[in-house]
Amino acid sequence: MTRSMVERTPGWVYALYLAIALAGLGVPLSLAGEGFVRWLAQTRSIATFDVTLQVLAGGILQGGLYAVIAMGLTMIFGVMRIINVAHGEFLMMGAYAAFIFFMWLLPRELHSLFTLNIGMAILGVGVFLLLCLPLMFLFGMGVQRLVLNPVVGGPELTPLLITFGLSLILINASISIFSSDFRAIPYLSGALVVGPLALGYPQVVSFIVSAAITGSVFAFLKFSRLGKAVRATAQNAEVALVCGINVERIYLYTFGLGAALAATGGVLTSIQLPFFPEIGAIYILRSFAIIILGGRGNYLGALVGGIILGVIEGLISFFIPMGSRLQELAAYTLMVLLLLVRPRGLLGGIADE
Amino acid sequence: MSNRTLQDSVRPAALPLGGKLPARQRTLQLAAMGGALLLLLLWPAMTNIYRISFVFFLLQYVVLASSWNIISGFTGYVSFGHVAFFGIGSYTTAILVAKHGWPWYLTLPLAGLLPVAWAAFIGYPCLRLKGPYFAISMMGLNEALRVVALVWESLTGGGFGITMPNVENSLETYYAGLAVAALTVAMCYAIAHSRFGLRLAAIREDETAAEAMGINTTAHKMYAFMLSAFWPGVIGGIVAYKLLYIEPDSTFFIIITVNMITMAMLGGKGTVLGPVIGTAILYTAQELVWWHLPWLHLIAYGAFIILIVLFMPRGIMGFLIDRGWVAKGVIQ
Repeated sequence: MTRSMVERTPGWVYALYLAIALAGLGVPLSLAGEGFVRWLAQTRSIATFDVTLQVLAGGILQGGLYAVIAMGLTMIFGVMRIINVAHGEFLMMGAYAAFIFFMWLLPRELHSLFTLNIGMAILGVGVFLLLCLPLMFLFGMGVQRLVLNPVVGGPELTPLLITFGLSLILINASISIFSSDFRAIPYLSGALVVGPLALGYPQVVSFIVSAAITGSVFAFLKFSRLGKAVRATAQNAEVALVCGINVERIYLYTFGLGAALAATGGVLTSIQLPFFPEIGAIYILRSFAIIILGGRGNYLGALVGGIILGVIEGLISFFIPMGSRLQELAAYTLMVLLLLVRPRGLLGGIADE
Repeated sequence: MSNRTLQDSVRPAALPLGGKLPARQRTLQLAAMGGALLLLLLWPAMTNIYRISFVFFLLQYVVLASSWNIISGFTGYVSFGHVAFFGIGSYTTAILVAKHGWPWYLTLPLAGLLPVAWAAFIGYPCLRLKGPYFAISMMGLNEALRVVALVWESLTGGGFGITMPNVENSLETYYAGLAVAALTVAMCYAIAHSRFGLRLAAIREDETAAEAMGINTTAHKMYAFMLSAFWPGVIGGIVAYKLLYIEPDSTFFIIITVNMITMAMLGGKGTVLGPVIGTAILYTAQELVWWHLPWLHLIAYGAFIILIVLFMPRGIMGFLIDRGWVAKGVIQ
């Protein structure tokens, strides 16, 4: 079926909504600060070229992390037509796996390897990911086989509820195991100074690792036989089946890979920030916003969308008073507006239902 | 949308209550409902405040699950952010009572109408989205409202929330909740037995075909969405007044959405009685598990959601209909 996803909406409706959205953002803004004029003056005084550059760079580093997480989600969404609400909890599992590894399994003498210098730090995370990702891949395949396989291709409500149930189980299991305290991993501190920029080592490592993983997933999808089969299934599962692709197996691999990508995001979060069992909630709606920004099932779109969102959030939280809380609103507003104006995403995606 | 085939749902169209034993069943249904209503009316005289509150919150979920059922069960558009309407109603009542000294019952019409206005505002563009996109946009809009309630401190008190003057209000809120629940179920019954309800079912089964048959689908989806927003707002106002304190995170709480969906699913979505039965069973079970095994209850709840969805997608009503114990119709 190639029925268009949206009916045509007259242009004035968008204009109206845009005006109201702008007004809606303006009201809390003018209420939050002491006054718009003073805010502008303040902004001008701090917004030098270097500072802006710093904010942009921070946003790009953060966006790389978003991209890895969103890529797993967009893959599951594109191939299986499933909204994986438990994606944030897969991320949380990655963070706690890193916690278990660093705190309980790794001998104390080896801790310094991960805090010594940037080369060792990258190596350490890489080694850990090699251990952790196959486990998450298996876990994802198990979830797909046990609870999601019967409902692929059914009404959208069913997988939504199943993955939500799964996320409830995972959050509360991890609360009973680890308590809801904040946890953190000792990791390389300090910053890499490049010209006017100072980039924190954890953020740099996170960006390098996510770039490497994103790149290998791209290569896998683009060049390997299996990757081509995944893309074919995303385009049209029935035709793929007719062509001799074992679609159910592709679903298994896709969900496993998606879970592993989310866990990668979790590991990379755990070296930057303290984490807690409900951390998934921070990332899940942002990931939805990103995959809608980039287009469903569009992997390059997830990358671009992640970086755009990272930069927008960085700019908002720096230049707008109370921005750190408004930056959440940015993701949701962006998502809904894009759904309405261009549901296929900026780069285009699979939009047929 | 549902597991039923098109034939199943279209055949009894001329007789919405057709099928086996219609007359006897209707009498039975009426008797059961009358008995339940009588019991609920006398309930406060029979027990203590804890049990009154328990039934009140059960009735709250009857309203929420039944209202969700109008847009998602009857019409087939899955709203994954329905708690937004509840939250708007809560904040309307809380702000008017705490800051402007209105009597709480006068705020209720407004607590119902503001969510309807919001539904019209977001429904016009969003109801054009299909399938998962509609669900995600509803979820995103609910989160957006939560953030607005957190940030707009001069209106909503931000994260500190709003505290209303302390009064004893168990009885008045109980009867208000009972009245709202009865009205909601009555409205669902009226919709289910009207041509309007049949048109909604047509949209659910095949929107293109419904449009081809001359149904103004956009308008009907809008009406259904707005109707499904009214009573959650009213009950939101009553709940806010009963609790005398609200704050954004527990008011725009995604678990409330999931609760109403699971309750409607357990009873049988797309039926009038399903959400009521599902709520009665699930809410009681939740309370018991929460009471006896507090550390386990959310894990058990998660597993329960998965099991219901996998093994009973049509709920208890679907089970009864398959046995022939309840008449089959487009909407029961």
